[in-house]
Amino acid sequence: MDVDTGNMTQTNLVDKVVVPGDVVLDLTKMENQTIKLGSGLRQDCDYISVMQAGKLRLSKPNKYWVESSQKRYVPRLEDTVLGIVVEHRSDNFLVDIKAPNLAFLPVLAFEGGTRRNIPKFETGTLIYARVVKANGIMNPELSCTDASGKAAEFGQLKNGYMFETSTGLARMLLSSPTCPVLEALGNKISFETAVGLNGRVWVNASSPDDVILVSNAIMRSEFLSGTQQRIMAEKLLERLQKS
Amino acid sequence: MVGMVIERDSVGEEGDDVVTPGEFLGEATEFIAGKGAYVSPNGRSVRACLTGRRKVTAAPPGSHDNRSTIEIVGHKAHGAVPQPGSIVIARVTKVMARNASADIMCVDSKAVKEKFSGIIRQQDVRATEIDKVDMYQSFRPGDIVRALVLSLGDARAYYLSTAKNELGVVSAQSISGGTMVPISWTEMQCPLTGQIEQRKVAKVD
Repeated sequence: MDVDTGNMTQTNLVDKVVVPGDVVLDLTKMENQTIKLGSGLRQDCDYISVMQAGKLRLSKPNKYWVESSQKRYVPRLEDTVLGIVVEHRSDNFLVDIKAPNLAFLPVLAFEGGTRRNIPKFETGTLIYARVVKANGIMNPELSCTDASGKAAEFGQLKNGYMFETSTGLARMLLSSPTCPVLEALGNKISFETAVGLNGRVWVNASSPDDVILVSNAIMRSEFLSGTQQRIMAEKLLERLQKS
Repeated sequence: MVGMVIERDSVGEEGDDVVTPGEFLGEATEFIAGKGAYVSPNGRSVRACLTGRRKVTAAPPGSHDNRSTIEIVGHKAHGAVPQPGSIVIARVTKVMARNASADIMCVDSKAVKEKFSGIIRQQDVRATEIDKVDMYQSFRPGDIVRALVLSLGDARAYYLSTAKNELGVVSAQSISGGTMVPISWTEMQCPLTGQIEQRKVAKVD
């Protein structure tokens, strides 16, 4: 593949789709600059090249990363995820978070957690937690407290319905301002959701009809634009005579 | 048991044929049983007790007995075996929260003939602040480490220690694939990209 590195001080690939192997920046042409690389990019001696297919993004002045969407999850520090308890060991729970390894959730990683009040999570319990240790080699570690030790909505999610999505849809649901489909649904139905960046979404509402409606609307909204999402949500709501 | 007639090898050479336990090697009147061989119960023949190739060494000059010694070579029982107190070279295979597993490759500068497993526990990585050790910042899978054998350990692995200045990571590859250069006892730098990675580095003279 011919590489045109003639004018690579600023890349012209920002916001375009890139594939692994694409050269984004030529470091020999840039002097005395600091560049920050996010996910999907790596330094290959003198070039910055792409590791993952997706859209290249730039956050001024110097932060580059590749946004991609997959069905599997690679754990990253400080991500909030939805996990399913698989086993209870003596000092931590083993939790499945759709990652290559099972994650460890220490039994004391809860607000006010001591040896006397260890939560009784059975196999299959759905947990909303935060990733506190994630390198590619060891099992990731989770925590059900925020950085200051408070519970902050982390912990077991009871009732409701959980379904799996791609990581891209999970990020879209968490974007601000509020994702259009959630806004359109929220105008007519009262529901609560928990979105895990590992591609799991939990929905809870007062009646099963509402839960199913919200879940279907979310699942269908992945590749729609903002307006299309609103129209789709309205159509679904009409069917159940909610509007 | 019928003894087979075997042609005598030249003294000092190894035979090409493989012998198996129980096989007749020579007469006890002509040979002394060395490593891997034994004198049969009737005292007349020397037989093999290991699988390998036979080797005949001449008797040292000036000894009473001028019989050659016959021994069996090429068997892994003759390889080096780690003992408590020996310095070993091992390759790290797995890094976990509280310990790291390693495959022992050399014992006291002799290569091993069969695989031995070792474990470096969190408290044996270094001598100071042993409860604050981060295993991920000390070792990575694929690193070559010099370690001291603490004990025979359990059935699965020897216990190893790197808690000395001259013990620790001797050679490691960076994420980019270059062999890293040590710059302090906690850091190594990749020559290709300049990235610095944390390891428990051995002070090699």
